[in-house]
Amino acid sequence: MKRILLVDDAATVRMYHRDILECAGYAVEEAWNGIEALEKALQSPFDLFLVDVNMPKLDGYGFLRELRRLEIPQMPAIIVSTEAEADDQLQAYRSGANGYLVKPVSPSQLLTHVRLMLGEHSQ
Amino acid sequence: MAFVKRKAMEPAPADVPKQERSCAELTACLEDSDPQTRRQAAREMLHFPDVSGALVSRLRREQDAAVREVILTTLVRLADPSAAAGMAECLRSEDAALRNEVIEAIGLLSGDVSATLRTLLADSDPDVRIFAVNILDSRRQPDVESWLIEVIEKDVHLNVCATAVDLLCEVGTEAALEPLLRLKVRFVSEVFIQFAANRAIKRIRGV
Repeated sequence: MKRILLVDDAATVRMYHRDILECAGYAVEEAWNGIEALEKALQSPFDLFLVDVNMPKLDGYGFLRELRRLEIPQMPAIIVSTEAEADDQLQAYRSGANGYLVKPVSPSQLLTHVRLMLGEHSQ
Repeated sequence: MAFVKRKAMEPAPADVPKQERSCAELTACLEDSDPQTRRQAAREMLHFPDVSGALVSRLRREQDAAVREVILTTLVRLADPSAAAGMAECLRSEDAALRNEVIEAIGLLSGDVSATLRTLLADSDPDVRIFAVNILDSRRQPDVESWLIEVIEKDVHLNVCATAVDLLCEVGTEAALEPLLRLKVRFVSEVFIQFAANRAIKRIRGV
């Protein structure tokens, strides 16, 4: 079972994404900021990260930069943000994101992107 | 060995207060290339009036996290209207780390920041309004629920309302039930708002 780490300080967003992903057969873990996410990423590998931008302690871009700097497997990461400007997306990709979704994300949109990142798009 | 001994006995040079430096000197030090000099200057500026503008100006460009932390601490301790307004303006920064630091700092400001919050919640940029709700979360003032209810009743942007609903899940009382039900009607086709509002309603009703 593929493992996904949800990183978001909003509990409602984490629960919403968790419901969608677990119903689709993924194992989901949660972190409420970038620091907690880094700790979890170092403890055990994940197949995908879904990452908010604005979080206390360590924001999503900072988390991705640290993640890419560390010598751990380079798993894909999708930024999931309320910010829809092109500059925001550019900043995300420069920080190491592989995809970008603007909130709120519909269930089908989320699953399409997750499957694409995990190489399951043809299934 | 002698160097180690000296270090053990004396405070680091940057921690030694520079006595009787003028406000103009300290403001100039904020532009120094050495982060420790900038940090020390920001700390000492607490003792001067009308320095919030200079501190905010530096904060917007400052790349060193430790210097930013001292600048924000000084601004929080100054707590004048100029400090609050200047920090609020930093919410428009492209730097996500700075935005989050500012949200936490405004949350720590003493006194009434209602005017600043009211301005932020009326901003034309929905992201700034979301940050304003984040500040409400950070401050947890006694009337936070009434602010959040006003947001979900009036704000036209889905993500601003969703952020307010997430906080209402924690602090909402029965007073929020009707506004949450009206929000569901207003965004009837938005799956996430339905999910978030239902979660808040269940929590308030104790279901």
